Amino acid sequence: MSPTRRQFLAGSSAFMGAAALGLNTRALAQALREQGHPPTLVTIYLRGGADPLNAIVPAGDPEYYNVRPTIAIPAKSDDANNPAVIPLTNLFGLHPSLDPLHKLYEGKRLGAIMCTGSTHPTRSHFDAQDFMERAAPGVKSVTEGWLNRYLTATSSNHDRPLRAVSLQPTLPRSLRGQYPVLAVPTGNADRAMNAFERLYSCDDNAEAFRRNAGGDKPAEQDNAPADDGPRLSGGPAVKPVDKPEDDLNEKLVEKGEESIEKLRHLRGIVRGQGNAKYPNSHLARQLADTAKVIKAGEGLVVAALDYGGWDHHAYQGGSTGTMANMLGTLAQAMRAFHDDLGSHMDKTLVLVMSEFGRTVRENGNNGSDHGHGGFMLAMGGMVKGGNVYGKWTGLERRRLYQNRDLPVHVDFRVVFAEALHALFGFETDKTDFFPEYKANDQPVRYLTPMAAG
Amino acid sequence: MPKRLPMLTTCLLAVLALVIAPAAVVAQLGDTEEEQQRIRELGLGAKQGLDSEGNAIRVSAEEDSGPPLTERERATHVLNRMAFGARPGQVERVLEMGVENWMRDQLDPESIDNVYVDTHLAEHMPSLNMGMGEIFRTYRPEYTPYKGKTPTKAERELRQQEQRERNQLRRDVQAELRAAVYHRAIYSGRQFEEVIIAFWRDHFSVDQNSNDVAYFANHWEENVLREHAFGDFEDLLMATARHPAMLFFLDNAVSQKPLTERELALIEKYENRDNVPRSVRALQRQRGLNENYARELMELHTLGVDREYKQRDVTELARVFTGWTARWRPRNMQDNARNDRRRGNSNADQQDDYGFYFNAGVHDTGNKVVLGSRLRGGGEEQGISVIRALAKHKYTADFISRKLCRYLLRDEPSEALVAEIAKVFKRTKGDLPEVYEAIVFSEDFLYRQNHRVKFKTPFEYVVSAVRATGAEATSYGQIDQALSLMGQKTYGCPDPTGWYDTAEAWLDPGVLVYRWTFAMDLAGNRLKGIRVPEALLANLPAEELKKKLANQVLPAGLSERTSTIIDEELGRNPSAQEMLSILLGSPDFQQQ
Repeated sequence: MSPTRRQFLAGSSAFMGAAALGLNTRALAQALREQGHPPTLVTIYLRGGADPLNAIVPAGDPEYYNVRPTIAIPAKSDDANNPAVIPLTNLFGLHPSLDPLHKLYEGKRLGAIMCTGSTHPTRSHFDAQDFMERAAPGVKSVTEGWLNRYLTATSSNHDRPLRAVSLQPTLPRSLRGQYPVLAVPTGNADRAMNAFERLYSCDDNAEAFRRNAGGDKPAEQDNAPADDGPRLSGGPAVKPVDKPEDDLNEKLVEKGEESIEKLRHLRGIVRGQGNAKYPNSHLARQLADTAKVIKAGEGLVVAALDYGGWDHHAYQGGSTGTMANMLGTLAQAMRAFHDDLGSHMDKTLVLVMSEFGRTVRENGNNGSDHGHGGFMLAMGGMVKGGNVYGKWTGLERRRLYQNRDLPVHVDFRVVFAEALHALFGFETDKTDFFPEYKANDQPVRYLTPMAAG
Repeated sequence: MPKRLPMLTTCLLAVLALVIAPAAVVAQLGDTEEEQQRIRELGLGAKQGLDSEGNAIRVSAEEDSGPPLTERERATHVLNRMAFGARPGQVERVLEMGVENWMRDQLDPESIDNVYVDTHLAEHMPSLNMGMGEIFRTYRPEYTPYKGKTPTKAERELRQQEQRERNQLRRDVQAELRAAVYHRAIYSGRQFEEVIIAFWRDHFSVDQNSNDVAYFANHWEENVLREHAFGDFEDLLMATARHPAMLFFLDNAVSQKPLTERELALIEKYENRDNVPRSVRALQRQRGLNENYARELMELHTLGVDREYKQRDVTELARVFTGWTARWRPRNMQDNARNDRRRGNSNADQQDDYGFYFNAGVHDTGNKVVLGSRLRGGGEEQGISVIRALAKHKYTADFISRKLCRYLLRDEPSEALVAEIAKVFKRTKGDLPEVYEAIVFSEDFLYRQNHRVKFKTPFEYVVSAVRATGAEATSYGQIDQALSLMGQKTYGCPDPTGWYDTAEAWLDPGVLVYRWTFAMDLAGNRLKGIRVPEALLANLPAEELKKKLANQVLPAGLSERTSTIIDEELGRNPSAQEMLSILLGSPDFQQQ
């Protein structure tokens, strides 16, 4: 699909203007990089605080079975035939429901990071998610998401319309901010777009209409109540300039047109491709559509998705049960996405994260409470996979954060910074990207940087 | 009158004086008989806002960019800003009674009969009249306890069943509150009251999805916002500070005095030992200071971000509020009465209620310095006096006035008007109806530059669309869903900032598509529980149809652009449904 003429003109003239003046070459270089198939960062946010110890299971640590008498994942298949941990290292294994990812781990395209999270002690979902999605622990004055800040910092006049998307009804906080990102309406949007296309189009007729309207309009003070009298001195020759309300009206029309363009564009891409094989889950459908945008070469740089419901205070289950089912949904959807993307996966990074981990010890309701250190998964061609990253200091009580939770050894900002750097060559420390943060943490080095260019 | 001290100093002194001798503060604020006498002599004080004939002096800050609004535009304007848009025929009624008379009535909500809405709420939304204890008992019933140490399979299954029921009840009590909000916004005759309460709902935002706030928010809406929105700001602020919804949403309920070096050493000593003494176990459980509320109290509720206070003030203020929490207590007990009954967190006694509790045991009694004032010792009174001082602070006057002007006039209100309104706020010591009146009866309120320049928030859009059609609503699930899609869940803003009311916050690509879809579903009678009257959907010749529906939905008229484009469509003989949805989805209807 080609951009509309108006967009093209606006884009190209800005391009030539900037080039002629030698301005903003970095933004231009960025824009050029984003032509075709740029690297793509896809985040999956597990809302609610996903339990790290029952996902990447420290089955080699005997303490694990002491602290989790009813919800531990067995190291060996037990009498009741409950599936056992899939060993990764001497210490760690995968939850059996994550089996679809095992092959990727072995093929070095998937890695895990343990004991990662926020430097802020909060155990509130709301604060922890906010701090993480804005990559600004404890700094409430920052209200824009880290992905949005990245998009703004690297934006140019000719950003592609689908530079960032969230294929769900509302934007995750990481994508909220001044950079306009499309969150896609569900349901039949075509109907609405067709019905309102005329009313929301900045076409040439409308331009002409606005020009004429300015000149031909009869002096509006004829309508004014007589008793109020003229407010402006200078007699009847008051020419009504634009009414202030017209500015907003015009802006609305522009936004409407933009919505229609972007959405049609997106839907064209999504419809125009055959359906790859995905499991039947909401997450899988979102990933399937995201994959289509990537494959279409529309310059998708960032996509963010939510997968909610990980707050397992009670009856979280072990190798089967509630959390096991959710891990299965996650793993199957990720694996389908990986296989669907094929070689595009070389330039795609999927980062799976959650706001915090959970208590090491299970609680009285066969579940776990809000904790501190958590885990992340990284999938993609540039991932130095087949590794569990992060320092492991054991499950002994005195080794835990406040005697109860996994500690945070890897600040999530380090993970984010390495992702932006490896994918896009973006240097967070040089741009003061993370507010009130001195980057002197140990690197994780879980990614191989893409070749520059 | 004594030499005037700068307001800031006055406030700092106020904090200081409250601690040393409460009576002295009153003098600073000009409340003694002697002070008032002087104020009267100088012709200031309460009468200041009136001219020699007793008419209100109108605040005026800038020139009208003209041309002046027509009477019809004025009627529409007040219905857009002091109400959630016009209902069918309402513009005509306002014109008939006079725009100003209508505004006067709205400023005095109690003068307006509201039997229909009150009856509906009493019949269909019982949770709104419950105490929080009763809410817990009704919507969060206790689990059947396990008999043995480890639950049997049957017990476990029962527990799961009970948990599902509790989850459903929790959703019910949450949905009932939201339904009440929509019902009042759409049908209340006291529209300005609803508009103002919507403002405070976001100013003092609590999220009903945050833990137990689900069970507190209904009581909060009725007893904090509704009780005080037309009273003094200080009382409103105080009520928010002491309500479990806020205490829990911003974590003050779990904020406790920080551990001392000595206590930390004790905990260390007993780490990994058996036989930990009881006192040390209590220390281990002590959670320490939580600054969340203290920060938001200054940043979001009173002074405005980074004005006057520093991180140190946040920490010190958090210490002041340690021990401000909530718990079970005997029914009808006053908030400040002593409560020695220990009940834990069970639903326990049928007579018990749930509410504010000052837990002296975890309160930090050390000296503090807040905003430059030394506060000696501790106690519940200390927090109360700080809240009073913050309510009267000049930055609070500025911050609240600015937000109200932005809400009621335009996204970037003139500095001059904000300053004038802040003066009224200060002069009346935060008498909110006086402040509202000063804004809506300012010359500026009906100026051209404020007309239709605000972009409706999703809530305003949805409510005004239902109002414009005169639709009858019997359930609100679809409104909930629409607002959720548009990203503005009622009582569901996860940020303590509340939802923003500026165009910048909402005018994203994509958002309009949801509004068009809503317009089409509403006009097509496809929203379950919401019926647009058949009479409105009667088909007419195209010209007449346009005239009739435009007159009802956009009573101040269409923009020429919209009108022209609709005219172009008339040849197709659109149905009434199509015409209605086009009008509701037009750019013009997004404006107010």
